[in-house]
Amino acid sequence: MTYHFGRGRTRWLPYLLLLPGLIAYFVVALGPSLATSVYSFTDATGLPGAPINWVGLDNYNEFLFLGQAARDNLNAVGRTLVFCFFVTTIQFGIGLLVAIVLNQKLRGRNFFRTLYFMPVILGAVIQGLIWSLFLYPLGGPLSQFLGIFGLRSEFLGAQPTEAFAWVIAIQIWANMGTTMIIFLAGLQTISEDYYEAARIDGANHWQVFANVTWPLLTPSVNTNLLLNVIGSLQAWQLFLVLLGYRNGTQVLGYLIYATGFGQTSGSMVTSFRQGYAAAASIVMFVLVLVIGLSLQYILRRREARLMG
Amino acid sequence: MSATTSLKTRTPSQPFRRVGWGKIGSYAFLVVMAIIYLGPLLMLVNTSLRTTPSFMRNATALATQPNFENFAEAWEKANFPQYLLNSALYTVSATAIYVVTAVFVAFPIARGYVKRSGLLLTLFVIALFLPPALIPQFQLILRLGLYNNPVGYILLFIVNPIGIVILVNYIKTVPKELDEAAALDGCGYFRFVWSIVLPLIRPALATVIVLHAIGIWNEIILPTIYLTNSNYYPITRGLIVFQGVYGSDWPVLAAAVLMLTLPMVILFLFLQRYIVSGLTAGSVKG
Repeated sequence: MTYHFGRGRTRWLPYLLLLPGLIAYFVVALGPSLATSVYSFTDATGLPGAPINWVGLDNYNEFLFLGQAARDNLNAVGRTLVFCFFVTTIQFGIGLLVAIVLNQKLRGRNFFRTLYFMPVILGAVIQGLIWSLFLYPLGGPLSQFLGIFGLRSEFLGAQPTEAFAWVIAIQIWANMGTTMIIFLAGLQTISEDYYEAARIDGANHWQVFANVTWPLLTPSVNTNLLLNVIGSLQAWQLFLVLLGYRNGTQVLGYLIYATGFGQTSGSMVTSFRQGYAAAASIVMFVLVLVIGLSLQYILRRREARLMG
Repeated sequence: MSATTSLKTRTPSQPFRRVGWGKIGSYAFLVVMAIIYLGPLLMLVNTSLRTTPSFMRNATALATQPNFENFAEAWEKANFPQYLLNSALYTVSATAIYVVTAVFVAFPIARGYVKRSGLLLTLFVIALFLPPALIPQFQLILRLGLYNNPVGYILLFIVNPIGIVILVNYIKTVPKELDEAAALDGCGYFRFVWSIVLPLIRPALATVIVLHAIGIWNEIILPTIYLTNSNYYPITRGLIVFQGVYGSDWPVLAAAVLMLTLPMVILFLFLQRYIVSGLTAGSVKG
């Protein structure tokens, strides 16, 4: 496009002014991101001045194949997938349902929408602490509620599987609002004429949803699925706040952090093994890439089929 | 409503129009959800108003005689003023640096005033799909001597590719004739971007600022990694430390959490539309 703001030396002004942002991006984000693969072949530690040596594929070999630690690592990968599956499907389902309900002309719908969306701004620390209190095991609200049915739970202090399930629930509570908002935006783009036409044809609720709403919602469906899948594969902040680095609950993101920066929790002590943590980062990257791209592929094909 | 609708009121063929079981079911569902969303907050408020012994006796009893001492105690013991000041400093300075540099990246890319602007934009988007930068970033900050240093910590937040994309998309809606007219009037490039473009893209700017600032304010992982001196802690890290010490004294801890939650909730009511437009940007078109 034609540039109007002078020639000669002043023509370089846009480049010059763009440079700070570009350099910052290279130095802080892109460069380090690419360097992760380089570090994954070294024995780097987090200690200042310590020498860094090439170790080839040792980190990967150790992470994936050596002894009990490798089994723990693969368990963490499995747990990450389980976390991703439940968070994505439940959050997607509830978010869609809430959006469809709120898309009607109802009294107080702005209030409900704002309320469900609000946790998004609070951040993992406040979300986590609020729920730690709500799940107070000695006669807290949920403990009493379960008591009505004769049930008992230690909640976050329970067996790893149960504690893990509570983190899934809280993760969904915290982020469902985003899914809902994206669906609501999608629903509002669907013209009332389509519903009108379906009604005239005598379609029932389910038929309207299956043949009008669902196909026309495709862009929001795609966005939400990709956001939820990629987001939940990488999310672990709530684990940090709610459980700490606890055996049987670690997900891949937390594992990377704990091996790279040292994490002590109870009997577990890990050291600053940053080369190893970089290798774990690459494993996570491959996981996200493979799942993300396959999902993208499936969604594209579906979209092509629906749109003819 | 059309005549067709009123003719067919007894068939289940008008989704979401009849007042009946559908509406009642909808409200019931919304109320149940509301309880799940409000419950934890109400518990927080109630607990913060109680005394520790009475909480220990019965965790869910109502605070019939509100006790406000928890707030004073939490404020003093949690070192709140210092942490809040740190958080504000990090958030404001990093966001300011980011937004100013981002505008000068986004504008020439959106206008094609720099060569290969399409490629440049791709370069920014690509970071979202690359491996986490965590480890090399740490090595970099360490080697620069900026570990456990507020400047190093702020550096981590001066980049945000999503904001660039939002700005580029919005700037494209600003008429290009404006550039030509301003240039003819003798307006320079910098002054044009700074005093003419900037006010015109205010909605997108607000969205980018709000999203970026919230991200910094709520960050918990990076302060845990980079800041060891408690004088530098942001409020998130401070709260975790406070929980470590007062974790069993829920009324005081609840007061501390509430003092941070309330301002965020109030802020949220004002900023909601900017967050919404940031999250839905581009998502509907697909």
